[in-house]
Amino acid sequence: MSEGNLPRTEDAPQVGASSRPAPIKAIPVRHPWRWVAGIVLIILGAMLIHTLVFSTSQQPHQSGSRFQWNIVGSYIFSPLIMQGVVLTIELTIVSMIVGVSLGVLVAVMRLSKSRLISGSAWAYVWFFRGTPVLVQIYFWFYISALYPNLTLGIPFGPSFVSINMNAVLTAFWAGVLALSLNEGAYMSEIVRAGIISVDEGQGEAAHSLGMSKGKSLRLIVLPQAMRLIIPPTGNETISMLKTTSLVSAIGVGELTHWSLDIAAQNYRFIQMMIVASIWYLAMTTILSIGQYYLERHYARGSSRALPLTPFQQIKKNMRHYHLGPKKTESYDLPEVNHE
Amino acid sequence: MSDVTPMVKAEQVYKSFGALEVLKGIDLEVARGEVMCLIGASGSGKSTFLRLINHLEKLDAGRLSVDGELVGYREQSNKLYELKDKEICSQRAQIGMVFQRFNLFPHLSVRDNITIGPVKVKGQSVANARDRAAALLERVGLSEKIDAFPSQLSGGQQQRVAIARALAMDPKLMLFDEPTSALDPELVGEVLDVMRKLADEGMTMVVVTHEMGFAREVGDSLVFMDDGQIMEKGNPREILANPQNERLRSFLSKVL
Repeated sequence: MSEGNLPRTEDAPQVGASSRPAPIKAIPVRHPWRWVAGIVLIILGAMLIHTLVFSTSQQPHQSGSRFQWNIVGSYIFSPLIMQGVVLTIELTIVSMIVGVSLGVLVAVMRLSKSRLISGSAWAYVWFFRGTPVLVQIYFWFYISALYPNLTLGIPFGPSFVSINMNAVLTAFWAGVLALSLNEGAYMSEIVRAGIISVDEGQGEAAHSLGMSKGKSLRLIVLPQAMRLIIPPTGNETISMLKTTSLVSAIGVGELTHWSLDIAAQNYRFIQMMIVASIWYLAMTTILSIGQYYLERHYARGSSRALPLTPFQQIKKNMRHYHLGPKKTESYDLPEVNHE
Repeated sequence: MSDVTPMVKAEQVYKSFGALEVLKGIDLEVARGEVMCLIGASGSGKSTFLRLINHLEKLDAGRLSVDGELVGYREQSNKLYELKDKEICSQRAQIGMVFQRFNLFPHLSVRDNITIGPVKVKGQSVANARDRAAALLERVGLSEKIDAFPSQLSGGQQQRVAIARALAMDPKLMLFDEPTSALDPELVGEVLDVMRKLADEGMTMVVVTHEMGFAREVGDSLVFMDDGQIMEKGNPREILANPQNERLRSFLSKVL
């Protein structure tokens, strides 16, 4: 656009420049309690850093810092911990994929005009949201005691194939089953809220083009519902990553399991929990960054200007402080042009 | 034979929402190439009638057919069978509809708004659909907006894109549901111009509108509805110049 060449204010006639009052100069309101709170926080922060880094061990046979960071350091990349991290990621990914798919399915069922279908969906959500995940994990882990064989056949009729349940439903898959069934219940509520939020006119416009209910949902309604579904799904993923630690209870070798396992041998429980925490924090931080960019992508079309990414923000600040106000670069979408 | 079949034929059409009876026996025929304007106060049932034609609402009683085919039903040996979703879709695909609130797809660019119907419903190739979209946008005077998103357009521009989107399906009938009611007054003209051009090209159109000027100049026929019934019907120039019905007179005195 050629707007850069348009005359700026210097060239423009100064309308009423002489009558314009001077900018307001007023004494700002003081906030003494902010200062007090700030000082308290600084003291607390200093105490935290001191106890974490500088305070020495109180134990008779130990030297070095109280937290014994050297032990944390020596275990953080140890093979068993790394194995646990990989399994934690696997559990999270598989459970989220199954959970989100289930959630979409149950949400659509919930919105069905058939009472039987929407009622079943409601019952599913009621059951899995109403019981603790840990209980569900134990339930699926021990289900093979109730059903030693998984048979495929005609309901109430002859069976064709029979598989040993213990062979199929290992601890890992029992964990995945529990986590994803539980996740599906929560996701279905999120997806349902997203679908409901899309303007009814969108579905009508899609139908008027001859789109079937399925196409309208897939091509028009769901992509728009995404804007509302994505942020809570990000939270769910982060929450799932942490919830996977519960399957350590049935012996799945994920991060918490191996951290506890090592601690049981060397009695460094705090250090091993710090190791686990560092890994959980690292993974949730990466997820949060990913979520930020996903949200930005799905905001397209809803607002006229996209917010800056952190990187763009840093670039902008650098330019502002070091190079002075230069030409303003716009990351906005093309400018609105009313005719 | 097919030239004689009216594009839209309504016989004793009734429709209620709960206890509220919105349409009370509508008899109406729209010929091929005819531009029919429906006027009336809000709540008179004109928008509901339009939505019935597209099967966005189900009629309760009577018969409604488009191009000789019953809307939403199939008749076999004197019995009515509800059509499957797929069959209803293929009926709708032949009818274009333009909404008061535009209802463009905000997550798609102008180009994709226009091509999504032909590509996903009619199975046209993307390249063909894109060429067609460019041509349609030129027709509504918005060639330069092909890559824009709906939120970047003014109301008038959005409505013109919505018309192009409907035309991309090559409809045999176009329905307009108060297409200019949500627009700022200075943007009404650009949308009416596009509709006028469409009428001149011989498109069959049913237009629910409050634009009496458009009805007078472009409309072949005018229908005044009140309280779910047709009160007056005929040549728009004659009706508007010399309204017979008392309610029409009082309606016009408020609108004009």
